[in-house]
Amino acid sequence: MANISLTIDGKRINAEDGTTVLQAAQKAGISIPTLCHDDKLEPYGACRFCMVEVEKNSRTKLVASCCYPAEKGLVVRTKTENVDKIRKLLAELLLSISPSGAHVDIAKQYGVVESRFKQTESPESPCSLCGLCVRYCAEVKKKHAVCFVGRGVDRTIALVPGLSDTCSSCRECFNVCDAGKIVYLVDAIQEISCPPLRSSFKHSD
Amino acid sequence: MTKFSQPKDLEQYRQTLQKQRDTKKTCISICSGTGCHAYASEKVVSAFEDQLKKQNLTNMVDMKRTGCHGFCEKGPIVVIHPHNYCYVKVKPDDVPEIITQTIQQGKPVNRLLYEDPETGKKIALETDIPFYKNQTRLIFGNNRKIDPKSIDDYITLDGYKALVKTLTKMTPQQVLDEVKKANLRGRGGGGFPTGRKWETTKNASAEPKYVIVNCDEGDPGAYMDRSLMEGNPHSVLEGLIIGAYAIGAHEGFIYVRQEYPLAVENTEHAIKKAEEYGLLGKNILSSGFDFTIKVHRGAGAFVSGESSALMSAIEGRVGEPRPKYIHTAVSGLWNKPTCLNNVETWANVPFIINNSAQWFTSMGTPNSTGTKIFSLVGNVNNTGLVEVPMGITLREIIYKIGGGIPNGKHLKAVQTGGPSGGCIPEKYLDLPVDFDELYNIGSMMGSGGMIVMDEDTCMVDIARYFVNFLSQESCGKCLPCREGLRQMTRILNDITAGKAFEEDLELLEDLSEVVQMSALCALGQSAPNPVLSTIKYFRDEYEAHLRGECPSKVCKALINYTIDSTKCKGCGLCLKSCSVKAISGEKKGIHHIDNERCIKCGNCLESCKFNAVLKTTGKQILVAKR
Amino acid sequence: MAKEKTKSHFVGVRLTEKQKKALYTLQKNSDLSKTDILLRGLEILSEYYALGLDQPPLNIELKKLEEEAIQHLKALKQIKRREESVKQMIQELREVDEIIDEYGGEKNALIQILLKIQEKNHWLPKPALLWVSERLSIPMSQILHIATFYKSFSLEPHGEHLVRICLGTACHVRSGPKILEAAEQYLGIRSGETTSDTKFSLESVNCLGCCALGPVMMIDNEYHGKLTPSQVPDILSSYRIGELTMTEEQQKLAPIAQRPTPQQQR
Repeated sequence: MANISLTIDGKRINAEDGTTVLQAAQKAGISIPTLCHDDKLEPYGACRFCMVEVEKNSRTKLVASCCYPAEKGLVVRTKTENVDKIRKLLAELLLSISPSGAHVDIAKQYGVVESRFKQTESPESPCSLCGLCVRYCAEVKKKHAVCFVGRGVDRTIALVPGLSDTCSSCRECFNVCDAGKIVYLVDAIQEISCPPLRSSFKHSD
Repeated sequence: MTKFSQPKDLEQYRQTLQKQRDTKKTCISICSGTGCHAYASEKVVSAFEDQLKKQNLTNMVDMKRTGCHGFCEKGPIVVIHPHNYCYVKVKPDDVPEIITQTIQQGKPVNRLLYEDPETGKKIALETDIPFYKNQTRLIFGNNRKIDPKSIDDYITLDGYKALVKTLTKMTPQQVLDEVKKANLRGRGGGGFPTGRKWETTKNASAEPKYVIVNCDEGDPGAYMDRSLMEGNPHSVLEGLIIGAYAIGAHEGFIYVRQEYPLAVENTEHAIKKAEEYGLLGKNILSSGFDFTIKVHRGAGAFVSGESSALMSAIEGRVGEPRPKYIHTAVSGLWNKPTCLNNVETWANVPFIINNSAQWFTSMGTPNSTGTKIFSLVGNVNNTGLVEVPMGITLREIIYKIGGGIPNGKHLKAVQTGGPSGGCIPEKYLDLPVDFDELYNIGSMMGSGGMIVMDEDTCMVDIARYFVNFLSQESCGKCLPCREGLRQMTRILNDITAGKAFEEDLELLEDLSEVVQMSALCALGQSAPNPVLSTIKYFRDEYEAHLRGECPSKVCKALINYTIDSTKCKGCGLCLKSCSVKAISGEKKGIHHIDNERCIKCGNCLESCKFNAVLKTTGKQILVAKR
Repeated sequence: MAKEKTKSHFVGVRLTEKQKKALYTLQKNSDLSKTDILLRGLEILSEYYALGLDQPPLNIELKKLEEEAIQHLKALKQIKRREESVKQMIQELREVDEIIDEYGGEKNALIQILLKIQEKNHWLPKPALLWVSERLSIPMSQILHIATFYKSFSLEPHGEHLVRICLGTACHVRSGPKILEAAEQYLGIRSGETTSDTKFSLESVNCLGCCALGPVMMIDNEYHGKLTPSQVPDILSSYRIGELTMTEEQQKLAPIAQRPTPQQQR
């Protein structure tokens, strides 16, 4: 494995070729917040909390460090005005969905006490759609019992009909769920015998 | 029909076809694009077929169902050759007269001719009609002359000549250099230099390579690609084969929206015909170059038009975008180098090869060469597809070609670039239309949708419309786009309902900035554009809404319908039209609208012949709402 | 009904009253003699045992199949006898098989296959999705995501007439939303829903590509353009009465892709 050298927050780091900026930073002990990332799973790039500023050939851009490949000579900055703006606002957005989870700490770090945004989801199912449950069940358990349904603001997760009867005995995705939604879904199937699969989607107001 | 195995066989066939063509023979060309089809152009076609049969003229007169002519406002359109008389809004009942007057006597039928609204004069010749005269119909012009289901029509008009030149006289590198020199930029929205994209794909080391035609035209109000694909599919095929040769790809895909069944049908037919003639398949015209094309249908998702999402869909997976830190030109379909270009971009290629890059750069502006097809729609007189050289002004397009705004209203804004673009106010009408100018002003070229908005348009409502559209079309994967658009929709709904305050406008701006910076793909990154551009140029309208007024009297929560007692004649038409019994009044007496029951549907205003129904807006409504 | 003799025609086979009644009905409907019916039944029964269909796990699978078929037909608002339900579902699955074979059973063709199933049935029935998942070896989770991601697909049966109202930008500035409101009011449903008598399904679409006709409403394959909201109830009610369905002549004139399928012609 070839070694490449890049700079993160002024520190010279050596990283293995083929790794991401996030992995390089973690190895060097530099912390970058994440929500949808898990070392056992393929990078997903959905939460955008891990965004950093990268510079190459005097061109700067904002990228998701969990997906961006570490490159020779790359200059990475994990805390800039824009990066902070992003993290702060995303934490505020998530606070409007759920009062608990990793985003609460991030919000505190940026001095956010209350979200400026109106509440969205109902408190019993505060899902951030990080996809950890879906990806865990697909990539690790290989059971594919949880899936995404819908698109855009109507996107949500559901249990696959016919497979969900094994879910109550497995429950391994509970460990990756930050918000408690998957717990709610799996436990709920005890009472609701057919899976919460939405087949018609109305426009949300 | 045997395959052409040698280029000279094709050329011989072409010459035969061209010699056989009798330019003096009468030919009736009837526009059969989806637009005219919706106007029941097929009924006009059968009427012609019946009448010609009845009068024993079937052998003496040719009839062609052509692709879209572009003058959609006036469809169904019928053009009679060789006279070049252009008839508009033709009905089946008009056909007998056309046959008697024009086909048999060579005289125009005056009442069916286009009437110039300024002079009141009738214009007989198609080429004299201002809508057509002021365009440069390079790519689109052949639509009127060919039946999309006839490969022979295309060949007669020098179709596939560029392919022959490419395969016999040019190396792949030479083709690439020519396209680079022409400075052709992507016509799908990004405006990325096409030659550079081809080069990246060509130089990528992995094999095999792929080429894709993006016909997932999702911008509402834009239908240029559909008309090209429906009306002249071979022009796109030819461009694609030439591009594949330059890049070194042997398999191509044409991704067509499921909502375009006629485009799917005509494209599949064109591919079959090209295969029959040996212009697709193995060892094309004995050049040693193999190439096949498959059609892939979309399934109703705007986001799938994004290049990485489109490739995901072709792979049979969900059409969600992925982070493009490694370009799709290097790692695309099945992680192989893939060159994706828009329909119109591919259609430009044969012209560049036939006429040279230098000729191409003589049109347009230095950084935006060539022409662009726009769909001119909305509050404009001549709704349709227009092709103009880059650098023409918005004013020329809207007024000279578009015929201005209907009902004598004023222009308020022009929206370009679809949901990723912005609204351009009237003061910039003399802006030359080109990629960079539009970008600098806060909008973009996009795929070519150009939506004209008159003085009765509420710009806040337009921003809300686009954000709402995007919130449903977003794939929903990334947090800023999904939740950001959800909250933006909420705030804009509050603004149009008179429930918002100044802080909400600031929040909207903060949100827009973060979504632009952090969204995963171009849909999310450009989603705030309609909001930011309308706040920039129409901030006064937003602020009026905060005060409880909708200046254009569109937003229901901020308007009231009332009856002007000085104009009301007591005819009762408004009462009859009201579906919620909100109007009361005696016969011949002044009528009155109960604002509590009124649902603001506007039926009463529509039905009143005395202009007695008015819309009002103002603070008093706001107090009641809050 | 006259009392039948309790003695049956077969040695060793005694029938209960219920069974005799059932036999009598079968006889009436089939024109066969009692003997023939019972012999045929025995033949099938022996095959049934030979195939091991009475043993687990197959008998459980069969039962599941029967239940699935009954649910499937309930969704279609048809109630049929068990065997007929199974037969109909098997026929539909055979058609799905043919579609999959057309695409060579390739995984990449998933969306194309689903499009064809949707077009044939006007929705994506669950048995069909399970079958596709089996044959293409694609997890159901992916298929469900795709089926709910794209607007072309419906997991519920559509009504007889599909009403699509264009809300593209050009139609929006020509008051397209008012047309949608008028349609929602008349039909009593919101966009994305089907009327309870299964006559109409209402959808909004983002651009039908006939901007010159805006605002546009498309019912099945017919375009209605340059509309005012007050025209909407009349147009819709004419479909209810059946006046404006596509005549044979109109079908001939429509492009191939827009011609109604045999199912649509009912």
